[in-house]
Amino acid sequence: MTRLNGKTAVITGGATGIGLAAARRFIEEGAFVFIYGRRQQALDAAVAELGPDARAVKGSVSDEGDLDRLYAAVKAERGSLDIVFANAGAGSPLPLGQITAKHIDNTFDTNVKGTIFTVQKALPLMGPGGSIILTGSSAGTTGAPSFTAYSASKAAVRNLARTWAEDLKGTGIRVNVLSPGATATELAKEALGEEGQKAYGAMTPLQRMAAPAEIAAAAAFLGSDDSSFMTASEVAVDGGLAQL
Amino acid sequence: MKALEGKIAVITGGSSGIGLATAKRFVEEGAKVVIIGRREKALQEAAALIGKNVTTVVGDVSRLEDLDRLYATVKEKHGHIDILFANAGAGTVAPLAAATEVHFDQTFDVNVKGLFFTVQKALPIFKDGGSIILNSSVSNVMGLPAFSAYAASKAAVRSFSRSWTQELKDRNIRVNTMSPGAIETPALATTTGLTAEQAEEAVAQFAAQIPMGRRGKPEEIAAALTFLASDESSYITGIDLAVDGGWAQV
Repeated sequence: MTRLNGKTAVITGGATGIGLAAARRFIEEGAFVFIYGRRQQALDAAVAELGPDARAVKGSVSDEGDLDRLYAAVKAERGSLDIVFANAGAGSPLPLGQITAKHIDNTFDTNVKGTIFTVQKALPLMGPGGSIILTGSSAGTTGAPSFTAYSASKAAVRNLARTWAEDLKGTGIRVNVLSPGATATELAKEALGEEGQKAYGAMTPLQRMAAPAEIAAAAAFLGSDDSSFMTASEVAVDGGLAQL
Repeated sequence: MKALEGKIAVITGGSSGIGLATAKRFVEEGAKVVIIGRREKALQEAAALIGKNVTTVVGDVSRLEDLDRLYATVKEKHGHIDILFANAGAGTVAPLAAATEVHFDQTFDVNVKGLFFTVQKALPIFKDGGSIILNSSVSNVMGLPAFSAYAASKAAVRSFSRSWTQELKDRNIRVNTMSPGAIETPALATTTGLTAEQAEEAVAQFAAQIPMGRRGKPEEIAAALTFLASDESSYITGIDLAVDGGWAQV
């Protein structure tokens, strides 16, 4: 399928995991993709795999100057932008009682403030038919012990799409949230081990973790015109984890 | 490869509106479809429009014997089902103070009981690993004056997708709900009981309330249904997919 023929996409957190899987899929569908991430080595490896329709820009979503450089690169090479997949995010557990201000700041800097400026700075390059996809999480609607900061930040991301659908009224730009559940990225597989992956999988009706490519398939749907009447929606790709 | 190559799909309420657009799209994506509807003439016209790989069955989803006939036809022709879009539904306007028992019963007979047995009777020939999509409506989370029976029936449908996700998980059958918003179908002007003037007013009101500033087209719902029906949504189950231009989301 080539539903994204001729489109230009930016994927933050695009060097690994869900972001990299989405880059692969978007390119298969005909798009030109800029991946954005903090580690040069991971970016280099990703671009080597993705081929001639990928570019890498090194930077952090919590640094406005870095984001300016990202969009300057997009403008210089492509002139305009069709799809933003604001996917960069981070989270670590800390139980209530041990939460520090720094822990909250780090989480919200990346997941909330980073998402806001990733999108705000992209808008001058976007126009009718544009699609913005924000990475939420099943944690945004469930109670996951010790994930106060992460879960609250993802609940905030869910709201961003609601507010921005109104702010973007009349522009022809759509904005939706893609909320993955437990996803078997390389990082997650390493952290969880075989037993951990089984335990996470067992929590979902589908009895397994997601492959990153399954999240990428939903991102391709939201990036394409197949979702042309969707804005402010949330698409949970979580094996039913947070739905029942 | 097309998204639904070689799949067998059943669509209730398949002769007009969202059901027809979906049948057309599914066939374009490589599926063979069986559509059921109450009006023979409308079904014939729908089949002509779809062009190929379509079988029609005249019947009413609120009549269990009609459903038996539907699935007997599917079994004979195709042997099994991969995709079920339980779409047949109806709603008429009736303010709480004026609604009759007949109004209530008709709404729930089609939207709830009809849909319940549409799925139950499909199970014996449903292929493990297939996809079931229940047509709800964003009214399942909205307050819509004079549509309380309809909205409640659609909330019941949303609930079914939760329970059935659990019940059918061992067969790896995914069950999701589709919730369209205001869509440009003939139903608003022909079956709700609104006058032409009221229908026009409603359309203007929709445009003002919907962030995208317009109603959706049946083809846009069909596109999202193709995603839910195909392996593209292989890790999605139990969800309620709102395709409403943001109407119920803000």
